[in-house]
Amino acid sequence: MLLSMFSYSQGKFLTKQGYTSFFSSSPVEDITADNNQVLSIIDTASSKIAISMLMKSFMFEKSLMQEHFNENYVESDIYPKAIFKGEILKFSELDGNNKKATIVGDITIHGVTKKIEIHSTISKTENSIKLSGSFSIRVADFNIEIPKVVVNNISETIKVTFELDHKPYRK
Amino acid sequence: MYKRIILIIIVVLTMVFVYVSIYNKPHINIEKSTANISIKSSDLLNDFTVDETKANEKYLDKIIQVEGIISEISLDKEGRRIIALEGEDLLGNVTCYLSNEKNKTNERLKRGQSIIIKGICTGYLMDVVLVRCIIINT
Repeated sequence: MLLSMFSYSQGKFLTKQGYTSFFSSSPVEDITADNNQVLSIIDTASSKIAISMLMKSFMFEKSLMQEHFNENYVESDIYPKAIFKGEILKFSELDGNNKKATIVGDITIHGVTKKIEIHSTISKTENSIKLSGSFSIRVADFNIEIPKVVVNNISETIKVTFELDHKPYRK
Repeated sequence: MYKRIILIIIVVLTMVFVYVSIYNKPHINIEKSTANISIKSSDLLNDFTVDETKANEKYLDKIIQVEGIISEISLDKEGRRIIALEGEDLLGNVTCYLSNEKNKTNERLKRGQSIIIKGICTGYLMDVVLVRCIIINT
C-alpha cells in the first residue's frame, strides 16, 4: 500500500498521442486543423507539465491551407515545434473525475514565448491523468503576419482545443 | 465588340477555374508517389538524435520509406493503427501513424516482425513521427 502510493506520487505520466486542434472562424470560411501526435509529460511530484508538438503534424482539410500554414504563417521549417511548459496549480488536491484545474506557464509558438493561463478539466486516477479544455490565442501576439489578401479568411483569434490522456510512464 | 465580350468571359472563367483548382488542390497521394528517401528505422532515428536541425532539413515533409522491426502496435482513439519501429537503443523509435483509408485491411502484425512503411515525416519529439503512413510489405 505504502509502496504503491509512493510510486503514484513520484511518477511521471505521459502521452505521445495527445490531441490538439485549432479553429479559426471568419465570415469567409472556417478553418480547422488537427494534431494527434502531441507529446505531453506530467511530473506528479512537482506538478509540472511539458507539452511539445510538431507544427507539420497539423492536418488540414485542404492541402493548400496546410501549405500556407507551414510556409507562410508559422514557418515550420524554422520553428518546427510549439511548446508549453507550466504548472498545474493545486495539483495534489485534484484527485477524482472532472475537476477544474488552472494551468499556468509559457507557451512558445513561432519562436515567440508568452505567459498564459489555461482553464482545464482534469480527471486523475492512479492509472491516468486526463486533461481537456480550450483557450484562445491572438495570432498577432506570436508575430504571425496574415497577408492582406486573406485577412478576411483568417480570424484574429484562434481557438485551441486539447485533449491529453496521460498514462504512467515506465521505461 | 462581341468578340471582346466573349474574350473577357473566357478570361474570367479561366481565372475562376484556376483559382478553384488551386484552392481545392488535393493532398499528395502517398501510395502513388515514389519515396524521396529509403532508410532503416535505426538510421533515421540516429540522424535525428545526432543533429535534429540537420535532420529536419533533410527529412521534413519528405515521403520516407522506412524499414524496421515492429516494437509496438497500438491504436489511436479513432481506431487507426500506430506502429512503432525499433531504433538502436530502447529509448526512441520511429512512430508510424497509418492513414485512414489504408488502415481497414486486417494484416496480421506482431512485435518483432520486419516491415516496410511509407509516410510523411513531420519531425522529432521523443520519437521520429511519420504520418499518413501506408504499409508497403511485411
